[in-house]
Amino acid sequence: MTVLKSFAILGLLGSAAACAPIGPDKSVDRGINAHDLSTMVAGIWVDPDGCDHWIIDDGVEGYMSERLTPDGLPVCSGVAQPNVVVGPFKSGSPIPDLL
Amino acid sequence: MASFITAKLRAAAGGIVAVGLTLGALSAPALAQDPRVVPAERYVPGIWIDPDGCEHWAMDDGAEGFMGPRRLRDGRPVCHRSEICGIVPTDTLFATDRYDISAAGRERLRQFFGQANAFGFLIYGHTDSRASDEYNITLSNNRARSVAQVAQGLGARVVDVRGFGERQPKASNSTAAGMQTNRRVEIYCLR
Repeated sequence: MTVLKSFAILGLLGSAAACAPIGPDKSVDRGINAHDLSTMVAGIWVDPDGCDHWIIDDGVEGYMSERLTPDGLPVCSGVAQPNVVVGPFKSGSPIPDLL
Repeated sequence: MASFITAKLRAAAGGIVAVGLTLGALSAPALAQDPRVVPAERYVPGIWIDPDGCEHWAMDDGAEGFMGPRRLRDGRPVCHRSEICGIVPTDTLFATDRYDISAAGRERLRQFFGQANAFGFLIYGHTDSRASDEYNITLSNNRARSVAQVAQGLGARVVDVRGFGERQPKASNSTAAGMQTNRRVEIYCLR
């Protein structure tokens, strides 16, 4: 457990240190596991109202955004029960999810 | 009287803010002195494209991530729907002004839905610009529903069905060919 914790803290420190002087360009994940944000892999989280959101666990950062129809309305596909997440949303980053 | 004074004060305050902004742009000390001038920072996002083909603004600020859908001013998302799975020219399914599908048309739709390998479908009807907008909304809606019924008959999940009438043309309605292109049912696959 302590090993895991220290690894997590090290990871956080590492990414924080590497990212200290981030410029205005926020389109890239810097530091450990550096990559362009366009390469992230998403899953779907179904909100309590039954509607879909794209969810991404990108290591230290998490992202969420709405899934929309061509008309701009929410997609409520029934892909899972409310409050359930499906898909490979943690697979885009090798950084383990310890918490 | 009171409202007159408030208006005057507001105008004066507006003037001060405007001056503050100008000064702030000119010299750093003015910015530091005036608490009403909010410091700003450039945040330039990247674009992440979801599996449906739609764009999202994404920003990584070191240890935080931010994201939201990119939309046009009318609320529609900006998408590259290259994987829009099917555009059915309605002339092949429906007679003019009708929304019942022939047996052959049903069979073709069954084949399509059977092979689409999708979790669910969004089905949208469109018409050309002849007849009134209201009539076309109803007609395209009925046609989309007819197609959706075929999908549901196969046990497929229909997530959204709607008719947009003549409001989202793909081609110009000034030529016969353009109008034919606009008479269509679009099927989006959710995978």
